[in-house]
Amino acid sequence: MFNFFKNSEKESLDKILAKSADFKCLEYYNNKSNISFTLKFLATLVDEKTIQDSVLPYLLEGNFKQIEDVKQIVPLPDIKLSEDISQIEDMIFNGSVLLTVNGKDNKFCFLGAKKEIGRNISLPEVEFSVIGPKESFVESLDQNLNLIRKRIPVKELVIEKKTVGTLSKTKVAILYIDGITNTENVNTVRQRIEGIEFDEITDSSYIVQIISDNQNSPFPQLLDTERPDRISAILAEGKVAIFVDGSPHALIGPTTLVEFFSSFEDYYLNWILSSFFRLIRLFAVVFSILVTPVYVATLSYHYELIPQDLMSTLVASRRAIPFPPILEALFLELTIELLREAGARLPTKVGQTIGIVGGIVIGTASVEAGLTSNILLIFIALAALASFTTPVYRIGNTIRLLRFPFLLFAEVWGLLGIIVCFCFLLTHLIRLTSLGRPYLEPLYPPRMQDLKDAFIRLSFDKQRKRPFLLNTKEPYRFPKKAKKEKKDIEDE
Amino acid sequence: MNANVPDSKKISPFLVFFLIHTMQTGVGILGFQRFIAKTAGYDAWMSIILSGLVVHILLWMMFKMLKIANGDMTSIHTLILGKKIGKILSSLFILYFSLYTVTILRSYIEVIQVWMFPELKTFWFALAFLILVIYIVFGGFRTVAGIAFFSIVLPFYIAVLFIITIQYSDFTNLLPIFDHSVKEILLGSRDMTFTVLGFETLLFFYPFIQNPEKSKKWAHLGALYTTMICIYLAILAFGFFSEAQLQKNLWPTLTMWKIIKLPFVERFEYIGIANWGIVILPNLCICLWCASRLAKRIFSIRQKTSIPVIATLCLIATSLLSTRDQINIVTDFTAKVGFYFNTIYIPLLFAGTLIAKKVRNRETHS
Repeated sequence: MFNFFKNSEKESLDKILAKSADFKCLEYYNNKSNISFTLKFLATLVDEKTIQDSVLPYLLEGNFKQIEDVKQIVPLPDIKLSEDISQIEDMIFNGSVLLTVNGKDNKFCFLGAKKEIGRNISLPEVEFSVIGPKESFVESLDQNLNLIRKRIPVKELVIEKKTVGTLSKTKVAILYIDGITNTENVNTVRQRIEGIEFDEITDSSYIVQIISDNQNSPFPQLLDTERPDRISAILAEGKVAIFVDGSPHALIGPTTLVEFFSSFEDYYLNWILSSFFRLIRLFAVVFSILVTPVYVATLSYHYELIPQDLMSTLVASRRAIPFPPILEALFLELTIELLREAGARLPTKVGQTIGIVGGIVIGTASVEAGLTSNILLIFIALAALASFTTPVYRIGNTIRLLRFPFLLFAEVWGLLGIIVCFCFLLTHLIRLTSLGRPYLEPLYPPRMQDLKDAFIRLSFDKQRKRPFLLNTKEPYRFPKKAKKEKKDIEDE
Repeated sequence: MNANVPDSKKISPFLVFFLIHTMQTGVGILGFQRFIAKTAGYDAWMSIILSGLVVHILLWMMFKMLKIANGDMTSIHTLILGKKIGKILSSLFILYFSLYTVTILRSYIEVIQVWMFPELKTFWFALAFLILVIYIVFGGFRTVAGIAFFSIVLPFYIAVLFIITIQYSDFTNLLPIFDHSVKEILLGSRDMTFTVLGFETLLFFYPFIQNPEKSKKWAHLGALYTTMICIYLAILAFGFFSEAQLQKNLWPTLTMWKIIKLPFVERFEYIGIANWGIVILPNLCICLWCASRLAKRIFSIRQKTSIPVIATLCLIATSLLSTRDQINIVTDFTAKVGFYFNTIYIPLLFAGTLIAKKVRNRETHS
């Protein structure tokens, strides 16, 4: 890692730190053993109550003759003796107190008294589910890792830690299960994280973008989640999870497109129900992307396509409208996008007002004013609704964007344009990879086996094999049951 | 340049099914019924079976040759004719595939212009389509195979929807069987062969198949599937049209779509033709890919350079063809070249390979 601060070598650490108001350097004297010692720490990072209650009384009144005694007399779990000066900076910035005995500078001691400030574990807000656990990740890495360790209490769960970001020194943890996860996947993740060159990594979203296979794709190539249950489930499948300190979203890789459309609640419902809901969601996505382009294509070019009865309804709704279908559609699509952008940045209460103003007032008014047809308004509203059904927020944004190129192609070449645009999208998806694994799997390369948990989710006894995509070391999740003889109706 | 292909760029053997089938189905399948019925009348379904058999025999020959030469077409040429003449002959195929691309693209645009958009500008649409093709081919052969896969899976519903036409058909049209001479049926099968050409691309992508021995089965199944689809469409058309009607119809398959009505779709052929874009897309991709791959093997030109160049030439040629007659001439020419290449050149090559192998064996033994 290159060093930003060229002059820091010359000036001593003390002098630089002394410029900051929160740097404390306190000298004390132990009367019993006639020894004077210094505590140095950053008051903003250190819990001063710990120093007051469990450090100072023992150092001042205990049998403190030399630095090695600290371990015996101070009742703190995290005490580290050291002679390595290069560690000092790191430890102080991690909330340790530096203890030196005056006159003997070569040895010193770090007392861990880190102050924990952060919010408590709360309900998942982005991926809320009615059934299932209600905890979600928070900004503290340790707390998040604790949630996972509790769910997978086996020694094979490996947590590797890395530090990235020249300024932020963000801690990143790579989680996988040894003996299940393919080492190639772990290596890819490790290499890419080590290869990150950026100064300030503030959130896991930075990491997704930096380590993506194709940074110029609107599709997210790593799945992010705030649910510990999801993370533990994918770890058991053989995927790799990435946690970033300061981010309540953990990353999952390698992932596939289909995974973005599966809600974790699917696993808490009976497989018939969850399969049905998954199919509905899939339909919603296709509908959301295609409905306005198809409307524009048919009304601009192929009105012969529409049966007579339906045509009269459409014509009646469009009779007084002065614009071509494309302008009408763009106007409404942009309105919806504006509403969403406005709503997303506002506090909940004001947001509701925006919804009412936007949805009801603007919608009704523009139809009454004769600017748009009410049928298109219904389509656009339905499409917006459908795009909200995506269980992962990130892919919802992608779908919002995709509609616009389709609209333009539909305007130029009608249905043919939609097909051309679709082929571009399809090619993009075929070419896309997530950590080097095909993104469109199990559709292409076609793998029947992985379809058991894609568009539909089969029952758990059918889920014996881990996804073929991951090429896991241990391909089976549970031993095969002995084949029972099939019972007849009346058999015991 | 040798034919070695890294394992990660190879495709699974069963995808050969899609590659073979997709190359055989293109614009031809929209109107083949007329040609075969011209000579063989409503006994033409037998011609389809015959030409299907021929395809299987040719496929068998190709696999045999490729196994002996252990490479692609250029390796076969080198094996039989030596490096220099082999290279010259192989380079002719760059022209063949470029011509093939132009034919497919232009005839599809013609269908669009006749049925959907009379005012569609050939140049602009061809440009957009070729950019799409370049984007696909730049993704490598795996992407091309992916497009081939989706081009069969996605429009499959169209084949099913044809069942609707059955209620309007009269299959007694097919009777009596055998009221045409054997010669007529054979001539019909020659005409049929034009439609099912395209499987010769196997000679070029063979090194990209993982475990080529296993792919044999899939290639034959692909060809068989094409034959079945053709018989299905032919019998539907023969039941749907009378012989005189059929002769006046340039695109019987398309005309049959017109009868399909859904509650929210009145004229299904619009959807069908738009969808056909997906069906012909892999044909263009495979042709362009073969041409650029050949250029790489023969002249060591980077594919990233040769693809845009060939595509631009194809674009110019496509836009220059404007009248029905011109399109007809080019289509007929391509079909003839393809026909003679497949039915005469490949058997000759097959014999040549066997002889070359014998000679080699003798040389090594003595």
